[in-house]
Amino acid sequence: MDKVLIIGGGIAGMEAAGQLLKLGYEPVIAEKEDHLGGHVAGWHKLFPDMMDASALIEQLASKLDGATVYLRTRVAYMNRLKDGYSVMLSNGTGLVCRAVLIASGFRLFDAAKKEEYGYGVYDHVITNSDLEAWFNGVEDFRVPENPRHIAFVHCVGSRDLKAGNPQCSKVCCMTAIKQAIEMKEKFPDAEIWCFYMDLRLFGKKYEDFYINAQRDHGIHFVRGRVSEVGEDIDGRVVLKAEDTLAGTQVKLKADLLVLMAGMLCNEDTATIASMVRAAVDSDGFMRSRDNIYRINESNRPGIFFAGACTGTKTVPETVAEARAAALDIHNYLSGND
Amino acid sequence: MIDFGFGLSRSSAVRLDEVDLSLYKRLEELEPQVRTCIGCGSCSATCTAGPWSGMSIRKVILNLQRGRDIEKMLSNCMLCGKCTMVCPRGINTRHLILSLCRIYEKK
Amino acid sequence: MRERFASGFDPFVLPFLIGFFFVIGYCILGIVRIMFQLSREDRRMFLLSLITPTTALKNIWDIFANCLLHVKLWKRNKVLGFMHSSIAFGWFMLIVLGHIEVMLYCPGRIHLFYYPIFFNYFVAENESTIGGAVLFFLMDFFLLLVLAGIALAIIKRVRSRIFGMRRTTRPSMLDRVGLYSLWAIFPLRLLAESFTAHISGGSFLTIPANWVFRQFLGNDLHMLPTWWAYSLALCVFMLVLPFTRYMHIPAEMMLIPMRNAGLKIRHARKGFARVEVLSCPGCGVCIDACPMSVKKANLKDCTVYLNRQLRRGNEKRIEEISDKCLLCGKCEALCQVGVEGPALRIAQRERRKYGFSQDYSGIDVAPMAAAAKGAKVLYFSGCMTRLTPSVGKAVCSLLQKAGVDYVWADRDEGLCCGRPMLTAGRTEQARQLIRKNEEMILGSGAGTLLLSCPICYKIFTEEYNLPGVRVVNYVTFFNELVEQGMLKLEKGDLFYVYHDPCELGRGCGIYEEPRKLLGRAAGITEAPKNRAESICCGGSLGSLTLDFQHREAMTLNALKNLYESKADAIATACPLCLATFSRYSERPVRDIAEVLDAQSHV
Repeated sequence: MDKVLIIGGGIAGMEAAGQLLKLGYEPVIAEKEDHLGGHVAGWHKLFPDMMDASALIEQLASKLDGATVYLRTRVAYMNRLKDGYSVMLSNGTGLVCRAVLIASGFRLFDAAKKEEYGYGVYDHVITNSDLEAWFNGVEDFRVPENPRHIAFVHCVGSRDLKAGNPQCSKVCCMTAIKQAIEMKEKFPDAEIWCFYMDLRLFGKKYEDFYINAQRDHGIHFVRGRVSEVGEDIDGRVVLKAEDTLAGTQVKLKADLLVLMAGMLCNEDTATIASMVRAAVDSDGFMRSRDNIYRINESNRPGIFFAGACTGTKTVPETVAEARAAALDIHNYLSGND
Repeated sequence: MIDFGFGLSRSSAVRLDEVDLSLYKRLEELEPQVRTCIGCGSCSATCTAGPWSGMSIRKVILNLQRGRDIEKMLSNCMLCGKCTMVCPRGINTRHLILSLCRIYEKK
Repeated sequence: MRERFASGFDPFVLPFLIGFFFVIGYCILGIVRIMFQLSREDRRMFLLSLITPTTALKNIWDIFANCLLHVKLWKRNKVLGFMHSSIAFGWFMLIVLGHIEVMLYCPGRIHLFYYPIFFNYFVAENESTIGGAVLFFLMDFFLLLVLAGIALAIIKRVRSRIFGMRRTTRPSMLDRVGLYSLWAIFPLRLLAESFTAHISGGSFLTIPANWVFRQFLGNDLHMLPTWWAYSLALCVFMLVLPFTRYMHIPAEMMLIPMRNAGLKIRHARKGFARVEVLSCPGCGVCIDACPMSVKKANLKDCTVYLNRQLRRGNEKRIEEISDKCLLCGKCEALCQVGVEGPALRIAQRERRKYGFSQDYSGIDVAPMAAAAKGAKVLYFSGCMTRLTPSVGKAVCSLLQKAGVDYVWADRDEGLCCGRPMLTAGRTEQARQLIRKNEEMILGSGAGTLLLSCPICYKIFTEEYNLPGVRVVNYVTFFNELVEQGMLKLEKGDLFYVYHDPCELGRGCGIYEEPRKLLGRAAGITEAPKNRAESICCGGSLGSLTLDFQHREAMTLNALKNLYESKADAIATACPLCLATFSRYSERPVRDIAEVLDAQSHV
């Protein structure tokens, strides 16, 4: 039986491992964190169906019987052999496999890098992932008891040359609307404000969400990018933006500010790529053979991609890609290409 | 067209196909980056002069594209440079303002 | 000593005389022109300073130390110092000794300008001139010194890295003519004097050379042509001098008294500025100093090239260079002559005409002044601090901990200090802003104005008129609070490297206080390039045209210098440096106030 190394045990790695098992391979997952599921494991609910993130992880994990999973493990080095790769993991395990699946995912933009938003400086500024953790029951002193105004700022570290990421992170608009609705449900008396540059709601049922947010929850949408955040004497955050549709400067004193931190390529991407001399794209993510038909394939034989290591992806996209990658690997290993 | 002898008052709509873009074209020549503006409003939000005069570079750029006058809108700019620091597209708005001030000289 | 020719003349001196009178005439005309370009007030000030004994003495000493001995250059680079002072001082001594010789042996010829230069040709040694031996020795000694300098200069041209210079200027066509004629003068002099040494006498250099030459050159026919060549080399050098970088030799002698008189640049092309431009020796120290030089495309945008273009009157390039500069002031700090690169550029920017100008008369600052009333200390954070809220927050927290009675003047809204306007060359607009802020500050009744932004601090100390108000930078203020025991600091374990912001360090000369302050709260290490040689973060508002994308390389280069200190984190005292560095830094970047706030307790 062929071993397949899967770098990254997020939803892409898990789904691919499950599929590879079914196809009769022996997947080995190397996950740097102490749990499987990656970023999704820390999430509360997933749009558009508001499915529990934990339910998805459980479902994926249930199919991993027989797979080898190494937690807190990184790839120490990887060498190209004549037909395959010899790999040494940081836990001392060595293995030889003909195919490697890179599913190393993404990293969240460090909101403190956008200093003007005061993340880590002001008392009531959190990120999208902080909020999901809070939804999951993690205590957070920054979320006030009875907020009257809650602001969401889109595109934090996305579409921003100054933050080093000119790309759109694609999922944040939808996440913001989802979280806004969830907050409104928790705090029905609060006014919720979304500050956006452009609303990019491209997926199935996404527009319905938007309509819901407007019609059923009365969430306010302001077209303008917040460029400064101050703090008043009571410790509330003061946002400054231009309402570009009204053409006027606006200010908002909010009790909570949620920054929609964007998705960036993982720090490890370049390291892993250099080990096997796989190409890195201009946006810092892995470069696929093409971005239409062979997204799962790298420019190196036996190296495959799945999920957000090649660019920002939604959960359904990632899962679908992982499944496709498993099939690609099967075809490659069985010589069906 | 038959002239009925009475006219409607002229529409205030900007006729995009007839707009006089000479000033904007001149600005494009001096500041090619201006084309990448996405009108996010960051510059206007952070503007030091904004609270005093309603100054908005975003509006200035947009109005130029629509052939409208902009002169008054720059009258309180202090060249503090904050707009340049926050622009997500990296447009050198501070120099753009200086260029605008110069274009008027040549007009 | 006796004279060989009754006429005391030979046609070979003519080229020298032509060159000599040309240079002298050119310089006199130049001085007259520049004197007329000065404003009446400046002219009076300058002429008065010339007859004031203290400044006059200082002028003489400065000219001697800088133009001849190159003391400043010695301190910076010993080899370059030796090279320049050996040529300048050696040549000067040759001229002085030449005059002494003429005065001693043929005083009747002292009115002939060429006699001290070509003395050896016109005299023959006789047995009684034993005193001449010392003079001859000195002549040969200084000639050797100059020749050593020239040899170093030739090596430097070929391999500048040996001298610790990574880049030097590319000389223009005429500069090359000047350079080669300068190189030729002294070897030719050695040849000419050696050929004549058996007649005129000589010393350890010329006598042996003469003996060697006479072994294979039987007659004296080659003597006159070498004196002709020597004279011609001098002629060529002096004829091209006004149009080359060698103009710095006479110009610097003008610049030093003018600077000592306290003159300032008032016009980009005239008067004092003109003298500064002409005083630029084109050494190229500013190329390595310029933070923009990390990118090849910017190599020709440093001060030495600005000066060259100003001499040539290439308006397009002058404008480009003037607008691109970050005004970090490092070229000025390192310049041996003291050319004020930033001030020249600002003066150039001032010349520009704008179609319409900003006007702030409609802004009413009375409500701001009223809101700021009642506190002893007025904290003015400035525009940039709004984009780095951590600074303002830390400053206020420290003030509260120390129990200072303060109010944050521009917490909500404020006016710009005017410094960015001033550096953009729009002086009138800057003045208006200054007046508005003065009105606000005086209206508030505060006795102390506290500033955390060095950009503001510079203009507040230099251009504002605030009677009864103490303008203080926060590093000074917090140092005082600590010394008075109002602020207690505990030293942390982290090691910081302090980055000197351009406006605070070179701009205001504050280097020690931030280090002292930071040292109370954390360990300090130093970067290889620090203090006056600190590298601009690349975020400076000084540059009008540099785009965001083109600044990245400069920031990374400045960070590289800071990383070399092996510190855990970087501390600075400017919100703009903080914002710029944070974007790219691999290590944490903190404002000095943040560090203090974390290490202080009530």
